[in-house]
Amino acid sequence: MTPILTARGLTVQYPGSATPALDAVDIDVLPGESVAIMGASGSGKTTLLHTLAGILRPTAGTVTLAAASGPVAVHALDDAGRARLRREELGFVFQQGLLLDELTALENVAVARMLAGVPRHQAEGEAAQWLAHLGLQGMEHRRLGQLSGGQAQRVAIARAQVTGARLIFADEPTGALDSTTGAEVLDLLLAAVAQGRTLVVVTHDPGVAARADRVVTLRDGRVVADERRAARAGGSGGGEAVHRVATVRGGQVEHTTVAAPYDEARR
Amino acid sequence: MNDLRTTFVLARLFARRQGGDRLAAALPLVSFTLVTALLLLVLGGSQVFFRMDGDIAGTYQALAVLALALLVVPLFTLGAAAARLSARRRDERLSSLRLLGATTGTVSLLTVLEAAAVALAGALAGTALYAATAPLVGLLRFAGQPVGSQMWLAWYWLPLVWAAVALAAALSAAVGLRKVVLTPLGVRTRQQPGTARGRRAVVALVVVLAGVAAMAGLGTLGQLGGFLAILVAVAMAFGGGLLALDAVGPWYVRVRARRLHRKATTVPRLLAARTILEDPKAAWRQVAGVSVTTFVGVVAGAGLALVNAAGGEMTGEEAWLFEDIRTGVFVTLVASFLMVACTVAINQAATTIDRGRVLVSLDRLGVPRTVLAEASRRSVMSVLATVVVGSAVVSAVLVLPILGAAILVQPVAVAVVALVFVAGFALVRAGASVAARLVPGILARPERVL
Ligand SMILES: Nc1ncnc2c1ncn2[C@@H]1O[C@H](COP(=O)(O)OP(=O)(O)OP(=O)(O)O)[C@@H](O)[C@H]1O
Ligand SMILES: [Mg+2]
Repeated sequence: MTPILTARGLTVQYPGSATPALDAVDIDVLPGESVAIMGASGSGKTTLLHTLAGILRPTAGTVTLAAASGPVAVHALDDAGRARLRREELGFVFQQGLLLDELTALENVAVARMLAGVPRHQAEGEAAQWLAHLGLQGMEHRRLGQLSGGQAQRVAIARAQVTGARLIFADEPTGALDSTTGAEVLDLLLAAVAQGRTLVVVTHDPGVAARADRVVTLRDGRVVADERRAARAGGSGGGEAVHRVATVRGGQVEHTTVAAPYDEARR
Repeated sequence: MNDLRTTFVLARLFARRQGGDRLAAALPLVSFTLVTALLLLVLGGSQVFFRMDGDIAGTYQALAVLALALLVVPLFTLGAAAARLSARRRDERLSSLRLLGATTGTVSLLTVLEAAAVALAGALAGTALYAATAPLVGLLRFAGQPVGSQMWLAWYWLPLVWAAVALAAALSAAVGLRKVVLTPLGVRTRQQPGTARGRRAVVALVVVLAGVAAMAGLGTLGQLGGFLAILVAVAMAFGGGLLALDAVGPWYVRVRARRLHRKATTVPRLLAARTILEDPKAAWRQVAGVSVTTFVGVVAGAGLALVNAAGGEMTGEEAWLFEDIRTGVFVTLVASFLMVACTVAINQAATTIDRGRVLVSLDRLGVPRTVLAEASRRSVMSVLATVVVGSAVVSAVLVLPILGAAILVQPVAVAVVALVFVAGFALVRAGASVAARLVPGILARPERVL
């Protein structure tokens, strides 16, 4: 299978520090897999994620993304080019949320589509579908600041998918959540993978790593282990339109089968 | 005592760490410099009139009081903006201090000390700026003579002004501290969206109506009592009008922003509307100085039209007086503009620093920088349009009963008002663009704001 993301000799040297934060890292991410990046604090996980996602420019090395339109040399793009790539091709779910407190849940998601030129009412329609899909019906018009941490992460997951991004980057998406809420958020992220998206997730949580297809371990900016879980190796590479999603109502977890609004044909 | 030593050690550490983003660190200093220089110039300028004697001195002093009244509000707004900016810069660093184990007492003391020190340094620099610019202002002619060395204040004014500036900054920092919760994990607490009640609008309307009634009554009185009575009436009505505007402003801004939000079709418009709605009071305060300038502009325009209409038949002292009113009107306008431009630049810089986390987040999500810039520009400019139109209408309504529509539609009056509008918009844009220069620095060092 052709990798969706290829990195070679990835090195990041922060100004003023003696040792590189990333030291010649090679990594291939296959489409439809979930990759957990683990390692001690300061081992370079966030730096790797940011470099792969075109947030940070590597000091040396290459990052190639197999975009819908063909391969893109991410490391060679200028600021505007990388911003465009992040906006159009990638989705993000970070611990800090990356969402705007003063916008409603609906607006936070709709903005991603509006930036692609979709008219506001249509963008809000799509956003509402995704929010409902992720169990946030009735909360569309709450400002983000009025949502719980778990609900806010659901909004982030909706935003990451509404553009049709095939590759989602998550940095400690469950880091600020209690274990039950964290597990629910992880369910939603893995549901996106089951639907054909690719997930790269930085985590300290062994529970998250245990459910990923593959675990990459970093130490001092180098990859020291890269293990694929045989049980999941086949993956679910297809683009199923229907999948299972866990939602919570009244403290009770219920599993519902829903149609995904994401439509391959739209791209 | 030990605690105090820790405080100074930490203060030195943090003073050194500031070197990184020089523009952001220099802004509070620069703003206190400007505040002090403008304050000294205004004091020096008004002293010119209060040292006069002779028959006509009373009229000059009344005019000077009117000009001062119109300048006090923008000067205070500017001072408050400078104090707020330096407080915000510190907020960023307070949480790391707490993490280092500093007690709340240490953090508070450090905050107040630093605010006072920065303000004092700015005040000293401002005094130098005053010394450099006072001779230029001295070239102005009043009562037939150049102002010259009369602009110089007696030496004892200087320490008084320095102490006042430092004290105001320290007080503002102390008050600001009470609004943030100092927990070991951070100082930033999001506030509920500012509420601006409709009830204030009613109060404001009553004040304006009372002002209009008083003006209409005193207009007749003016024909009997002469120029001075009109001046007092104008000063009082406009003081009331300004208070009314300040009461109604945030509410009006919110109403307009709701509309903007409903109609927003693009991301910058949506973000701008939400930014304003987040805190309509702050959005109003940002450009409130412009409302005063608009007031000044409308009064000045009417005043100049009046002078032009009456000036022809004057001789001697009276001719000087009318010539001097013309000069005074322009000086007041220029001073008012300068203060507003500084205020907008400072406020925008503070807002930009405040929203650093948001800017970094949006940048990471790939939102184009042009969209970020347009959203922040719109959040200021749309409020500005609201404010300028609102204050122009209120001030015209106030001027109407005494001067009549004939004066307000004179070409001079219209030209001055138009000038005020154009210059106001240009200045606010310029002020906002100072803040835009901070954005690349913030995006380049995201770890500072996250
Ligand atoms: N902006 C920066 N400037 C300088 N050094 C940095 C910067 N960001 C990270 N580093 C350093 O680079 C190394 C890797 O940091 P990184 O944030 O990638 O670690 P991490 O594995 O994500 O850690 P954590 O689990 O704590 O999030 C660390 O030694 C860190 O101190
Ligand atoms: Mg990290």
